[in-house]
Amino acid sequence: MIWTIMIVTGLLTFAMRFVMLSAVAPRKLPAAFEEALGFVPIAVLTAIIVPAVLVGKDESIMLLDNARLPATIIAIIVALVSRSVVMTISAGLGTLWLLTFLGA
Amino acid sequence: MKTMNQKVMISAPATATSEFWKGIRDELPLQLGVVPFGLMFGVLGIASGLTPLQTILMSSILFAGASQVVFTQLWATGTPPVFVGASVSVINLRHVLYSASVAPYLRQLPLGWRVAIAYLLTDEAYAVSIKHFQEQPDNPFKHFYLLGAGLTLWTLWQLSTTLGVFASATIPEELSLEFVIPLTFIAIVAPTIRKYPDLLACVTSGGFALAGHALPWNSGLLIAAVGGILTGWLAYRFREARMAR
Repeated sequence: MIWTIMIVTGLLTFAMRFVMLSAVAPRKLPAAFEEALGFVPIAVLTAIIVPAVLVGKDESIMLLDNARLPATIIAIIVALVSRSVVMTISAGLGTLWLLTFLGA
Repeated sequence: MKTMNQKVMISAPATATSEFWKGIRDELPLQLGVVPFGLMFGVLGIASGLTPLQTILMSSILFAGASQVVFTQLWATGTPPVFVGASVSVINLRHVLYSASVAPYLRQLPLGWRVAIAYLLTDEAYAVSIKHFQEQPDNPFKHFYLLGAGLTLWTLWQLSTTLGVFASATIPEELSLEFVIPLTFIAIVAPTIRKYPDLLACVTSGGFALAGHALPWNSGLLIAAVGGILTGWLAYRFREARMAR
């Protein structure tokens, strides 16, 4: 079952990359569609980030006593300033470790 | 513009090989962000109950990091296949945009080339290639650049996934290394939030994701993504209309 889903979603993903390179594709996407697609990365990735930071293993929302929250805030600041993936990961993970191992 | 023309004139004429190597060289620095993510995907796959083979082959079959993470998480929580497919598709919708933006440069290539390029057309390979195409639209070998960049990304993605799969048992849980995944996305998203529609898309999606995190079949993710896209787009339209006045 998992193989079937994987292959079908893989084909769908390939189709989305190929569609405009195909011989039958229109020369240009409809403007409204293209504008909306511009928001896909922000919307999709935020929808993954927020639960990963704020939802605990027991499915509860954790706003207090959650070392991931300050680590995320530091990471956002570093991302905005440095625009570097490596710096952002280092700052975020570093803050998380500092808070976890210092027991803060 | 003038300096760019001069640069083109003094550098040796491009060949298929030189373009291929240039693609590899320009893609390599981005791997600093790709490799930790690939490692963590490998770890996540095993932790979610996928077999090593399933985890490793997903990196070739889907070859799209964010959607692989979501696929794995949804599968692990018993989400119905239709929801898995829909979520992965929404996440990868941005590839239509990539396809559209490279099409003017590559449309005339033979089918085999277009298929290979479409398969390799993921975020990091697209990012360097579109820049190169815009700088050298008349370079006859520019598709070799994308091939070099794409194959570099592909190879390191497979290697890091495989390494993650086999290292997963040895990584202590206290290190919270799975946090690398949201951190990678923060590094991608935060700098792209420039205008108020971007911020609105982000806040809407985040709010929906949080409010809907306990919904069955992880449908919160799908609702949040679609809600964020629509809100951002409506805000964009509203802003354009107001500025046109």
